[in-house]
Amino acid sequence: MSRKVAQSIRYVLLTAALLFSLAPVYWMLTISLKTEVEQFASPPSWFAFTPTLDHYYDAFVARGFGDYLLTSAIVAVTSTACALIIGTLAAYALARFELPWRLNRRLSLWILSTRMFPAIVTAVPLFLMMRDLRLLNTRASLIIVYTGFNLPFVVWMMRGFFADLPRDLEEAALVDGDSRLGALVRIVLPLVAPGLAATAVFCLIVSWNEFLFALVLTQTDAAMTLPVGIAGRVTQYEIKWGVMSAAASVAIIPILVFALAVQKYLVRGLSMGAVKG
Amino acid sequence: MGIEFKNVSKAFGGTCVVDDLSLKIDDGEFVVLLGPSGCGKTTTLRMLAGLETVTSGDIFIDAQRINDIPTQHRDLAMVFQSYALYPHMTIADNIGYPLRVRKLDKTERTARVKRVAAMLEIESLLDRKPRQLSGGERQRVALARAIVREPRAYLMDEPLSNLDARLRVQMRGELKRLQHQLGTTTIYVTHDQAEAMTLASRVAVMKKGRLQQFDSPMNIYNHPANRFVAEFVGSPSMNFIEGSPLTTGIRPEHIQVLSQPQEGAIAAKVYVTEQMGNETFVFLTVGANRLIARAPADFRAEEESQVWITISKDKIHYFDPVSGENASPQESQLNLDTVSTTSR
Repeated sequence: MSRKVAQSIRYVLLTAALLFSLAPVYWMLTISLKTEVEQFASPPSWFAFTPTLDHYYDAFVARGFGDYLLTSAIVAVTSTACALIIGTLAAYALARFELPWRLNRRLSLWILSTRMFPAIVTAVPLFLMMRDLRLLNTRASLIIVYTGFNLPFVVWMMRGFFADLPRDLEEAALVDGDSRLGALVRIVLPLVAPGLAATAVFCLIVSWNEFLFALVLTQTDAAMTLPVGIAGRVTQYEIKWGVMSAAASVAIIPILVFALAVQKYLVRGLSMGAVKG
Repeated sequence: MGIEFKNVSKAFGGTCVVDDLSLKIDDGEFVVLLGPSGCGKTTTLRMLAGLETVTSGDIFIDAQRINDIPTQHRDLAMVFQSYALYPHMTIADNIGYPLRVRKLDKTERTARVKRVAAMLEIESLLDRKPRQLSGGERQRVALARAIVREPRAYLMDEPLSNLDARLRVQMRGELKRLQHQLGTTTIYVTHDQAEAMTLASRVAVMKKGRLQQFDSPMNIYNHPANRFVAEFVGSPSMNFIEGSPLTTGIRPEHIQVLSQPQEGAIAAKVYVTEQMGNETFVFLTVGANRLIARAPADFRAEEESQVWITISKDKIHYFDPVSGENASPQESQLNLDTVSTTSR
């Protein structure tokens, strides 16, 4: 009896949580499919409306949202890849090599400290630097900034995963004749793959959704990302709810697909190190 | 390949783990580094493998100084206590790994993996992953990975310590056989004196980072350099009777326990007996001393019963009570009085 009650409560809570997190998504999806008249119907038509793809056509064919999507994808994927490569190598060094003057710990903390102030603090300096480098309105500027932004996170996540791995395996690889880098690529990385996948998802999400730097560093269509493009439809005269919802609905898809693809690693990656075995 | 340690020391921070070690190992020898935990034997092995730096002194392989040569270029093979099998690779890939990193072509690699697997009777496991294997099987795979190429020497760090007793004895025999077949210099670290005695051509006994004695197993057993070696090698341990000017050491098998008095025998009381099946350990009280004697399997005695013991005179060792050095005269003269009259 009490088990049934507990079970029911669990489902009620789950449903509430799902409603809470998915209702806005549903709202957005319906807006993107409604005509502008139906969008403002009162009371709102939750289910009964005639769907239309006009807004999708408007966003991706008539306007430049296709380009924004491409820019977002290039920037997110490239910056994630850069952050993973640089961060993983740094994390491995911090986890495995004993540096003098207790630098392992000090460097790690220093790296973490770069994330301790609000992002807006660095926005102006970064803008000036990018201007001097003539990188404003380029994808490169965003890739550089996002890579730097994600690095501390990658270093700290991966450092933990490396530290949990027994040293014996790498030492065995070295004795077997492999180089440090070879042991890292052939032995260590396959074993921390779940952690790497989890880290990649976080980096990708952060870069994909980033708004502030994209807004500051890009003003033209040449390097506009989706979040900035979407926000740009809020104008002095009107708010294009339909176009914005359509673009936002599409923006969800890549991350969703990627997260689903690495899902089986994700759970293991997030709980790695928590339990040995 | 000959290996030589010349005045090698290793310090971690301020603590000296290996202290001025000099050791010359001949080509094809099976040398066991023996000692209690923390004696520096594993560190010594790891320095030879290049997994630890040398604080001072030099290590040579074939007269080539290898201090600054990185691990991967030392051409050694090592069996780890944990086996260190690569969990994400099949057994075949594990064994073939040293060949793969040497860029051996695939057909040659497969052939050599198969040959070694046949040698160690693990052919049926080649497609499995390490986690699907038992401890004994993993041990064999680790060994196979070491012998799949012809390294200059094998290094083994307590390779049998994770196996159960029966398997350990079996693998011990196979290891010995294998080393004779391959004839490759082997350095083997253990804290198990039985492994040292059975496997080694020479045993290096270490204590607190210092080499105590480096000799053949029989010489270590029969002529221990000092009290530590005498006590560490042999089971049950050697009996010691503290005395002045010398401490007396007698191995349990050199004490004969008699149920009837005999001329020259010393009276003793039985404290307890332990029947091992093939023999019986008799714990005795003689005056203020506790002694252990080995008796035949059928020896029976009640606790606190009166017995008599005789001691093989020529087998007695004497040690300096301060330095612990073996101080036995060439012609040992037994003074039985020291046994019955010394008190603490």
